[in-house]
Amino acid sequence: MNGSSQHTAPGGEWPSDWLRATLGMLALRALESGPSYGYAIIADLEKHGLGTITGGTLYPLLSRHEAAGMLVTQWRAGEAGPGRKYFTLTDHGRSELERTRADWARFTDISIRFLGAERPGKEIPE
Amino acid sequence: MTVIPSDQKWFDDLVMELRLRQAQGAAIGDAVASARELLADTGQSAQEAFGLPRDYAAALELPIASDRDLVRWTVWMSLLGLLAFLLFTQTATAWAQGEPFLLSPPQLALLSAPAVLVACLPLYLSAAIRKRWPLVLAVLLCAVTGALSAVVAPATRAEAWLALDPAPLMIGSAGAMVLFSVMSTIRTRRRGDIDDIVDPLAPGPARRTVSARVIPVLTDWLFPILALFTLGQILLLVR
Repeated sequence: MNGSSQHTAPGGEWPSDWLRATLGMLALRALESGPSYGYAIIADLEKHGLGTITGGTLYPLLSRHEAAGMLVTQWRAGEAGPGRKYFTLTDHGRSELERTRADWARFTDISIRFLGAERPGKEIPE
Repeated sequence: MTVIPSDQKWFDDLVMELRLRQAQGAAIGDAVASARELLADTGQSAQEAFGLPRDYAAALELPIASDRDLVRWTVWMSLLGLLAFLLFTQTATAWAQGEPFLLSPPQLALLSAPAVLVACLPLYLSAAIRKRWPLVLAVLLCAVTGALSAVVAPATRAEAWLALDPAPLMIGSAGAMVLFSVMSTIRTRRRGDIDDIVDPLAPGPARRTVSARVIPVLTDWLFPILALFTLGQILLLVR
């Protein structure tokens, strides 16, 4: 699996803490356009510069999403290769994605402004 | 799809760890098929893609079967059945010969070794299931001490420390074996096919083969069957 995005992490991998915090919503986003399976989700995330996610990280996450009713699964027999387990977003998963996407946008906006070089000088409360 | 040998060991360990967590058979089948699907796609080894089987099984948080502690129950029943079986074989010989069941201190010490092993089971049960060799060692120790206790059995009443009527002990141990088997059979029947690992890609509902139905029942009744066989041999030898 080779990433093709120019927006990759320095050294190829993002800090694991960042991925741990965001992978749940990123996996939901990878399913927004339609059902997909494990390897395709991993490849999609890698292609978009999010690093290489292992099966040991992705599948437990998808399993928790399924238990929470955000995903449903269906096995489909492969024509030439292995059978595949397809994950599909439910309405609950879709609304959860919308919510976390909006929250994340607000959070990153605030963080970027805070980190920005043009930020006013340090304000020390009296 | 071919599975490389090291991956087969990984999958065996994963299934065992999921069993220890009382995951349902269908969920185990699904987890195994998912993992195999990804390995076929990436060409990675199972260890590389999923880490240690124990950690991966814990991370999956699969739905558990309503009947908890199946593995522990099975091991407990097996070792208690073994104790009853050892007592039965000891007393059956004396009973068939029409003699009292004679006990000497070394014999009692050897006979109590399996009881101690069973009593200490909670201390090493998880390790025994994961590593297997402690369980094999425990069963071997039970068998060896059982056999040795027959060797050091007193030959005459004068050498014996205790002389007991063998019939109640023999009937009691036989009753215990039957009781354990009945309890295990009830549990096996109640669980139905919930423990069967089902391939999610198999067409139609899973059908249990005759052997899949018969083997659990035979396993539940292993010690009473062995006891009957042993009793037959003892009676043949005595006559």
